[in-house]
Amino acid sequence: MTNTNNSRTPKECTEFQEQLPEFFDTGADLLDHPHLKDCENCSALVRDLEYIAAQAKLLLPIHDPSPQVWKNINNALNQNSRGRQPSNGDKTS
Amino acid sequence: MKEPKKLSRKGEKNTDSRMKNTLRTSDTTAHTAPAQPLSAEARPMQQQQRRNPPIAGELAAIAQAQGGDGSAFEVLYNMHKRRVYSLCLRMLGNVAEAEDLTQEAFLQLHRKISTFRGDSAFSTWLHRMAVNVVLMHLRKKGLPLVSLEETLEPSQEDGPRKDFGTRDLTLSGSIDRVTLERAVKELPPGYRMVFVLHDVEGYEHNEIAGMLRCSIGNSKSQLHKARMRLRNLLREDADGRAEA
Repeated sequence: MTNTNNSRTPKECTEFQEQLPEFFDTGADLLDHPHLKDCENCSALVRDLEYIAAQAKLLLPIHDPSPQVWKNINNALNQNSRGRQPSNGDKTS
Repeated sequence: MKEPKKLSRKGEKNTDSRMKNTLRTSDTTAHTAPAQPLSAEARPMQQQQRRNPPIAGELAAIAQAQGGDGSAFEVLYNMHKRRVYSLCLRMLGNVAEAEDLTQEAFLQLHRKISTFRGDSAFSTWLHRMAVNVVLMHLRKKGLPLVSLEETLEPSQEDGPRKDFGTRDLTLSGSIDRVTLERAVKELPPGYRMVFVLHDVEGYEHNEIAGMLRCSIGNSKSQLHKARMRLRNLLREDADGRAEA
């Protein structure tokens, strides 16, 4: 693996990347992190992961269930309500 | 069930006012919802509002459905079917299963709607119910919600990488919704579950840990690996398009 355009050692990158889940969770501002000042690899990684998370938030619900789903629900509800109706023998005056 | 009928604007307004009086607000009764599937109290209200903005006429339809009005229940179905189905589809990656569980989620809603008290947004409550239906389904199938393999032995491609300097392409601005949806579908089920719940649906790690019965650290780790895997998938896609 090459590590061009980068004055950081692979070990430093590994240590930094291992901490990323915690950095992201705490919402830490990574722009000022010392490791990113001169590590293009990790800077690109952080940018990409932040971009993916941002894009995911924009995923709108676009799929509709088929009309059969409501028909099935409606049938089930109708069956339930018929099952709950009292028969003639259950009627009280 | 009666034929669907449109709710009148006037009727909506009047019933909305009634509901505002009868449904409790979240700031006064934050801890009194035992009948709800799982509480979403831990999630900041602002975030809930952002993810689940109120829908016009929803309060009226809820009140009428709670009173047994079948056509009002159908109105609620039409308001929320897309969001519930999309959630099921993203979690499962399978159309037939997603439709079955959408059906199950709404049948469960019909059984439980009388217990809704307005402690959280209705959509938040319903979506949580749908998530629980999906998770219950997966448990019944015997599928681990968090893969041991994914947890204990991450593959090389999910671990820290040092070779990204060899390519100067960054993803920013290069992916569209369809590409991202396709990549999410390719994630292993455990990764996909946490990614959809956290990044798409907006749940916090403590909520996800509760739902998936794993540790908070595990949830964070799975999310990170999911994003790393997505990055690789999206880069491969972008590289392929660049070469074409």
